[in-house]
Amino acid sequence: MKQHEESRLNPRLSDWDEVWALVMPFILQLSLALILICVLAVAGRTAQAGEVSRLDTVRQGSLLFADGHGGYRPALTQSTEVKIDVSGMIVRAKVRQRFTNDGEQWAEGVYVFPLPEAAAVDHLRMQIGERTIEGRIQERQAAKQHYEQAKAQGKKAALIEQERPNLFTNSVANIAPHETVVVEIEYQQVLRYNNGEFRLRFPMAITPRYIPGTPSEESVTRFDKRGWAVDTDRVPDASRITPPVWRGEGKINPIALTVHLDAGFHLARVVSPYHAIRRVDQDAARGITTITLADSDTVTDRDFELSWAPAPGRAPRAALFTEQVGAEHYHLLMVLPPDAAAPQQRLPREVVFVIDTSGSMAGTSIEQAKQALVLALQRLQPGDRFNVISFNSTTDRLYGDARPASPEYLDQARRYVAALNAGGGTEMRPALEAALRNSQEDNALRQVIFLTDGSVGNESELFRLIHDRLGRSRLFTIGIGSAPNSHFMTKAAQFGRGTFTYIGDLSEVRSKMEGLFQKLDSPLMSDLTIDAGGAALESYPQRLPDLYCGEPLIIAMKGAKEGQVLTVHGQRLQAPWEARIALQNAIPGRGVGVLWARRKIADLMDQQRRGADREGIRNNVIQVALQHHLVSKYTSLVAVDVTPSRPQGAALARRALPVNLPYGQQYKKIFGHLPQTATAAPLDLLLGAVLLLLALMVRHFTSRRAERP
Amino acid sequence: MMRGRTLLLAALTGAGLCLCGHAGYIYAKAMAAQVLIQRAWQESQETQRQVKPWSWADTWPVARLVVPGLDVDLYVLAGDNGSSLAFGPGRRFGTNMISAHRDTHFRFLKRLRPGDAILLQERSGPWHRYRVTATAVVNKSVNLPRAGDPSTLILVTCYPFDAIVPGGPLRYVVYAQEIEGKTI
Repeated sequence: MKQHEESRLNPRLSDWDEVWALVMPFILQLSLALILICVLAVAGRTAQAGEVSRLDTVRQGSLLFADGHGGYRPALTQSTEVKIDVSGMIVRAKVRQRFTNDGEQWAEGVYVFPLPEAAAVDHLRMQIGERTIEGRIQERQAAKQHYEQAKAQGKKAALIEQERPNLFTNSVANIAPHETVVVEIEYQQVLRYNNGEFRLRFPMAITPRYIPGTPSEESVTRFDKRGWAVDTDRVPDASRITPPVWRGEGKINPIALTVHLDAGFHLARVVSPYHAIRRVDQDAARGITTITLADSDTVTDRDFELSWAPAPGRAPRAALFTEQVGAEHYHLLMVLPPDAAAPQQRLPREVVFVIDTSGSMAGTSIEQAKQALVLALQRLQPGDRFNVISFNSTTDRLYGDARPASPEYLDQARRYVAALNAGGGTEMRPALEAALRNSQEDNALRQVIFLTDGSVGNESELFRLIHDRLGRSRLFTIGIGSAPNSHFMTKAAQFGRGTFTYIGDLSEVRSKMEGLFQKLDSPLMSDLTIDAGGAALESYPQRLPDLYCGEPLIIAMKGAKEGQVLTVHGQRLQAPWEARIALQNAIPGRGVGVLWARRKIADLMDQQRRGADREGIRNNVIQVALQHHLVSKYTSLVAVDVTPSRPQGAALARRALPVNLPYGQQYKKIFGHLPQTATAAPLDLLLGAVLLLLALMVRHFTSRRAERP
Repeated sequence: MMRGRTLLLAALTGAGLCLCGHAGYIYAKAMAAQVLIQRAWQESQETQRQVKPWSWADTWPVARLVVPGLDVDLYVLAGDNGSSLAFGPGRRFGTNMISAHRDTHFRFLKRLRPGDAILLQERSGPWHRYRVTATAVVNKSVNLPRAGDPSTLILVTCYPFDAIVPGGPLRYVVYAQEIEGKTI
């Protein structure tokens, strides 16, 4: 009965809606025309012009950050030039960031940019015209003060701060109108060497990070618009790692890149999977070659990768580099254990697949992830058990508990995966908790395969979780997309005692997954230790990881001298393995000391993530970083000009430089949109009232005129 | 001359009345719909099923929102698209984020202050008590942290509150955190 009453009442509501929708545009146009006629007649043109410009300024000023609507280009622009020198296993790179101020106001630029996750940043130079100013390393707080002071005094200054091991901020103060300031930084790094292939990565884009947690009152009132997110309890520096995303015409931040490669062996192939390159060989026998980007208008929207391999059978099995700094001897050792065939009898295993279906995965990434997951499902054998977990804002498990890999269950899983779509947040914690919950008490190998772009801001919290809950599980991360968070990928795999695979394109899903399957099937090299025949040795990482098939051991050491012999011990399938390397065979390597210090800092930060005393670790990191001139979480590089350039009284505009959305990603899927939450009622009321008022005025004036004669 | 004047007068008066009438209609719909939704809410609590407030509605009440200090008592609808928001506040699927119009149901948002209590009743019966922790003005394209977390209630409306023209880029966001001792 109740239902009946309502349905009688409501058709009228709905009819009215339709009639209104038809009539409304007409009435609105008519009323606007009427108002315009009256306004023009009464007030003339000046008032109208004034109105337009005022509206314009209001619209600009009311934006929280310049999001580039309507073809507006930023006054301050940035371009990058990268020169990378590769010598054997050691990488030395120069990154020149050129800031150009096309505006009429003095500017401060704040630019957030990615670097390789293990980069040791040790030099900063600021170039103003012909002059060069060297940067100095200082404790982060002191460097910041130094910079702020220079900024206030009108001096040019540059400050490099580390936000994450793979994410840095460059602040440049007092760029004059129509001036260009160049900031050059240098870093050192060790190459990735895997399955007989060397791999160099230079990240060029930042996938917008998901920020979990609740904003505090303080962070909301303090919000300074440098990032698109507000600091929260779980990501206290959210505003610093979320640079504004460019939404205007085309792409910004052009980049030029040159790699000078001295491989030390004849190159069988050199591949750049994501960028077209030009290659000029200088000495083919020694593998000396120069590589540049073929496209002169490349922009920073997807990571650059270069891989090369020696001719078959020529792959290096061991390498040792040495550097003497003062009285200290530093060494970098690479040892590749011999391959071992997979055992005849394959142990049954439990595999948990976790797939990220958040908004940043939308577009090409989710397709790569789904294809990789389907391939992995095919590899399961009878006797294995499996489960699939997908997550975005919420976590969804295909089964409550792992199921046998029977054709029926596998079929269900394939259909489940096919139906997955990307959208929403990246609440990774519940998904990891679900994946690491050890369901069975048996001894089956338990492998968690985690497909994600790692675009989260709460990395440390997640590493802690992996460390605490890992148990007998092993975590294998697969980085998806054109700009995954490499720091999260590698560290999560390290804490998960697994490996990291990177898939950047749909075409490489099959080959990369094959590489991973080979690792999963082959026996581990474990219980690794190193000694120098009794001589004291400070080596990092302190706890040597287990090695999967095709992975080398890379250790940085301080202590042993010429004449001594390093011995590496390990175990595989209960059989001992040993390698001996004499220090007299070492090759001199520039910057080995810096690499050692960078690895020591990484090791200290890991201890902190595992729960070691914060203050103690902080002091240790500062000591190492200051001694080796390194940027770290607690130390920054700062360069300050001697004489002030900005006149007293000239205003300084702070500008957060926008970054490109990575290639293949969709803005709307990442940021979503809050709903429209205003009705047209106030506007209607205002216009209606104005029209009625006009009607009154027309009646009043015309009737008086009619009476006059 | 006389005829032109009459025509202009008629057009101005007619258009003016139409626009005022439409504004009144929007407000009336927002108020009247809540009465119908209240009945549907009662029925859905009795039957523990989705009950649509009228037969062709594409939404249904999912919660009751009460702010004791400000005399606010609203029924929240499923989904936050425009067709839901015309009748009441809407909750986005899979989140604890509720949006409503600044000039009707969520006009009171500007009077909420940190510390204020908000009560929310789910269809299953229990009341949850929240306390306002923070407010913020954000661009509509920002992704709100914690929108998926049931212990955080997020209320969203357009900003500035007194703007005349709809469709602006800013939103006013109120964060409220659940207080222990869930039911009252």
